[in-house]
Amino acid sequence: MKLWLPLFALILPIAQAQESPSAPSDIYKSVVRIEVANQTSDYATPWNSGRFGGGIGTGFLIGKNKFLTNAHVVSNAERVLVTIHGSPEKYPAKVEFIAHDCDLALLSVEDFHDFEKLPVFDFGNVPALESQVRVIGYPIGGERLSVTRGVVSRIDFSTYSHSRADSHLIVQIDAAINPGNSGGPVVQDGKVVGVAFQGLRQADNTGYIIPTPIVRRFLKDIEDGRYDNYAELGVTEFPLHNPAMRKAFNLPNDGRGVLVTDVTPTGSADGILKPGDILLAIDGNAVDSAGMITLEGENVNMQEIVERKFAGDKVSLRFIRAGKTEETEAVLKPLPPSRMYAIQYEKKPRYIVFAGLVFQPLDTNLFATAKFEDINVRRLYADYVPKGIFQKRPDVVILTRIESDPLTTMMDGVQGLAVDKINGVEVRDLKHAYELLHPSTPPGFFVIELFGADRPVVVPANQIEAANKRVQLNYDIDQLSNLEE
Amino acid sequence: MKRLLLLLPLLALPSCDSPGKAAAAEPALQSPPAPPAVPVTAPLELTRSVVRINSTRQTWNDNQPWEKNPPNQRRALGPVVGPNLVLTTGELVGDATYLEFETTDGTRLTPAKVIAVDFEANLALLGPADDAAGAKFFEGMKPFEMDGSPKIGDPLDILQVEDNGVPLLTVGALQGVDVVSNFLEGQYFLTFQVKASMQSAASSFSLPVLSKGKLAGLLASYNSKDQLSDVIATELVKRFLESAKTGHYAGFPGLGLETTRTEDPSLRQWLKLTEDQGGIYVSGVRKGGSAQLAGVKKGDVVLAVDDHPIDRRGYYAHPVYGNLFWSHLIRGEKNVGDTITLKLLRDGQPLSLDVKLVRQEEIDNLVPAYTFGNAPRYLVKGGLIFQELTKPLLESFGDEWQSRAPLNLLDAFENPEKYEGKMEHVVFLSGVIPTPATVGYERLRNLIVRKVDGQDVRDMKSLVDAFKQPTNGLHSIEFHDESLVVYLDDRVSEAVDRKLIQRGIGKLSRTE
Repeated sequence: MKLWLPLFALILPIAQAQESPSAPSDIYKSVVRIEVANQTSDYATPWNSGRFGGGIGTGFLIGKNKFLTNAHVVSNAERVLVTIHGSPEKYPAKVEFIAHDCDLALLSVEDFHDFEKLPVFDFGNVPALESQVRVIGYPIGGERLSVTRGVVSRIDFSTYSHSRADSHLIVQIDAAINPGNSGGPVVQDGKVVGVAFQGLRQADNTGYIIPTPIVRRFLKDIEDGRYDNYAELGVTEFPLHNPAMRKAFNLPNDGRGVLVTDVTPTGSADGILKPGDILLAIDGNAVDSAGMITLEGENVNMQEIVERKFAGDKVSLRFIRAGKTEETEAVLKPLPPSRMYAIQYEKKPRYIVFAGLVFQPLDTNLFATAKFEDINVRRLYADYVPKGIFQKRPDVVILTRIESDPLTTMMDGVQGLAVDKINGVEVRDLKHAYELLHPSTPPGFFVIELFGADRPVVVPANQIEAANKRVQLNYDIDQLSNLEE
Repeated sequence: MKRLLLLLPLLALPSCDSPGKAAAAEPALQSPPAPPAVPVTAPLELTRSVVRINSTRQTWNDNQPWEKNPPNQRRALGPVVGPNLVLTTGELVGDATYLEFETTDGTRLTPAKVIAVDFEANLALLGPADDAAGAKFFEGMKPFEMDGSPKIGDPLDILQVEDNGVPLLTVGALQGVDVVSNFLEGQYFLTFQVKASMQSAASSFSLPVLSKGKLAGLLASYNSKDQLSDVIATELVKRFLESAKTGHYAGFPGLGLETTRTEDPSLRQWLKLTEDQGGIYVSGVRKGGSAQLAGVKKGDVVLAVDDHPIDRRGYYAHPVYGNLFWSHLIRGEKNVGDTITLKLLRDGQPLSLDVKLVRQEEIDNLVPAYTFGNAPRYLVKGGLIFQELTKPLLESFGDEWQSRAPLNLLDAFENPEKYEGKMEHVVFLSGVIPTPATVGYERLRNLIVRKVDGQDVRDMKSLVDAFKQPTNGLHSIEFHDESLVVYLDDRVSEAVDRKLIQRGIGKLSRTE
C-alpha cells in the first residue's frame, strides 16, 4: 500500500556527496506552501454535502504565474492559498489544470505581482541511479521549509496511487517523503528532476517522485488549454516464450514478437489489431517476446511508446496476422470507460431516490464506500472494460440502499445488487433508469429486476409519491436525484 | 430455500481434526464443567447397545490432486440398530480410509465398512467388514429399539461413555424442532434441539439420544455456550434405516427449487396474492430436478403441497411439531418415486401440478457442493494441471473464499446456468508445474477450459480424450472468456509426463 501525502518534498540534485549544497537560498522562495480547503463527496449518502477538510502541500514556480504541484494536493479544492517561504501573506490561487492520471496540477495566483522577481525552476532529466537529489517542501513537523537529501535507488514503471488505476515511470529515492512534501520539487544540479508525490506506508525513508518526462508531457498536453488524459493502446499481450506456441504461429525461436490476447472495444487498436495477432514492432521499435522494447538504451514495456504520445498522435504497428506481416497506423485516444477503475475527483455523485430505493452508478468511489460482495456486481465491474460491457451499459446501476419506510420495510436483502431491467427494459445508464422510473404514463407497478436477486423488487406506482415525501422528510433528502456529475 | 442457520457453531465434535492417534483420544466435547447432578451414571447394560467407531480420514490435496493430505482420526459413539449394524453421522465417515468398531470397554476391535451413507441427512449405517469377525464382535450386543416420536417438552437422555467404559446419561429436554442443516450448508432436515448441559467425556462425533431407553435420535453437534444440541430426529433416523437396511439406499428426494418469502405487501399485490393466502415465491428451478421436470417455473408461487397450505414465510402446520419449514413435506416425508401435488399461482391464475419426486446426486451437479467418497478428477499434461471445479476446491481459498476465490470460478458455482448444457462439469486449469513444456505459462491459472485440440471439453474424461489428437505435434487449449490459446508440444509434454511419474506423481490423471 502506497501512502500519498498532501505535503511536499524537495530534493537537491547533488552529483557528488562532496559537492557543497550551494543552492542559492532565493530559490527556496520559489517553493511555495499550498493550503487547501476541500470538500469530498459522500458516496454512501450521495444527497449529503460530503466532508469538509483541508491539507497542506508544496508547489513550485515554473513560469509566469505557473505553479506546479500534485493533483492530490488540490483535489476537490474549494479554496487554495499560496504562501512564499518566510512571508506571512496568503495569496488566493486557483487550479488551472489538473491531471489525476499522472497526479500533477498547475495553479495560478490571482495577483502575481509579488512573485514577479522570484527565480523560476528549470527542468532536468531523469536522475541517474545512485545520484543524489534534494527534496524541498513543507512536510509535517513544522511550519517552515524543509530540505532533505536522498539517493536515487530505483527507476521503475509503477502505480500512481492517487487514481489507483494508473501506472507510469516512477523514481524511488531513499529520502522519506512525508505528508506536506507532496508537489515539491526534487532538485539536482540546480534543476528540477522530479516532483515528490508519494511514500510507502510500510517502509521508512522511501520516497517516490514523478520524473520529468511525465511532467513535460503534462505541460505539453495542456498547451492547447485542455488536459486530455493519457491515451491508451487498449491491447493486452501475452509473452511468446513457449516453443510450442511459437511453432503454432510459425515463428522462429528468435525471441521476437508478442501475442495480442485482448483488444479493448472502442480503444485505439480496435479494428486494427485482433486477438491472435503477433505484434512485431511499435513505431519501428522491435517488440521482444515479453512485450518489451529498447528505448534510449533502456529495456521498457512497449506501452512506453504510447505513454510518451498524446491523444490524436499516431503509432505504427507491425504485426503478423494469418502468417502475413502487416503494418498499420493507429490513432491514439484516451479510453474514457477505463476511468471506471480510477478514483474520481471534483465530481458530484449521481443518484436516484425512488420511494426509498437508492440507485447509484457503479464506479471505484462507490465500490470503495460500499464494498460490494455480490458476485454479479463484482463481475460486471471486472469485465466492464475488458469485455466491453460499457458499450451495452455505460452505467452499471446498483440498488445501493433501501431507506426504511412503510413501503420498503419488507424489501430487505436486495441491497448491493445490480439492476438488470426495469419493467422489462434493460437499463443502460442512470439517466435511462430515471426515465424508466418516471414514464409519462405510469404502469400499475414498477418491477425492478436485479442480477442475483431471489425476487424482483415491486413498487406500486400509486404509492410512490407519498413514499417519496416521507423519505425526503425523514432522511432529509433535499433532491431526489442528481443525474449530472 | 434460503434460510438462516440459527446457532450451531458446532463446538461439539467436528472440525477440529486431531493430527494423530494419541491426540485423537482427547475429549472434543469442550463443554464447561457441568452443573452438578445433571449427568447420571447409566445402567452398565446400555454399553451393550453402543460401540465406539474409530475413523481414519484423509482428504485430498487441493493443489496436488494426485495425493492425499496427512491422515487424521475421529471417534464416535454409535448405537447398535440391528444385527451387526451401527448408526453414526455421515460426517464421521466422509473421506474415511479406515473404519473400526471398538467395544466401549476396549476389549474387542473389528474393521468396519459403510453400508449406506447420506451426507445430506448426515447419517451413516455401518457394519463389520468381515461377517465372521463381525458376528464375534457383536456377540452379546443388544440393538436399540426405536422410540415413537418424542414431543416438545419430553425428556431425552444423551448417552456418553467415558474413557474408562462407564456410561453417562445426561438428561435433557426436547426444546424445539426445526428444519435446519446440521452438517452441510443448505441441506435442511428435521432436527431436534435438545437443551442439556453435557460434560466432556470421551471425544465423539456422534452420540445416541434416548427416550425411555429407546433410541430417539443421533446427536450431531453440541453448542456448549447455549448448551443446545442438534439431534437428528427420530422420523429421519427411522426412514434412513428402513431404506439403508435393504442394501440399496435410495436417499431422500428433493424438489430442486429455490424459494423466497412473500411478506412484502407490494410483491404480494403484484403476484395477486390475497390476504388469506400464504405462498412462497420460486426464485430458481434446478435443472433436471423434480420441479423442473414437472414444469414448475421461476416466478411461480407455491401455495400448498398436497393439502398443506404454506404460509408467506414458508412454514406449514405440522400436526405434532407445529410450524415447520415446508421442505420437510418433501425431504422428510416422501420417498423417491412418490408423487405430490403442488398448488401454484402462475400469472395470478391457480395451477395444480403433479410432481414425481426424484433425487439428484450432488456429484452430478455442474459444481458439486460436496465430494465425499469421490476422489478429485484431474489431469496433469506436460505440467499443466487441470481439475474439475467443486465447492470444496473453492473453499480451499480460505475462510474468505467467497471474496477471495477467482471471480470466474465463483461465477460458475453461483450461476451454473451460464455453463449448463455446454458441459457436465467445469474443467479448469488449476495450476502449472514449471517444466520444459510450460515455459512462459507459469502464471496461468483458474482458467475454465473450453476446447482442447478443437474438441469441446465437457468433463475430465472428455479432456483426457481430447488430448489424444495433436495437430502437427501440437495440442491447443482454449478457454472460456479468454481469447488466449495455449499450445503444448506433444513430444515434449510426453517426455515431461514420463519424468513427472519418475518424480513421484503416481498417476497423471483420474477421470472416475
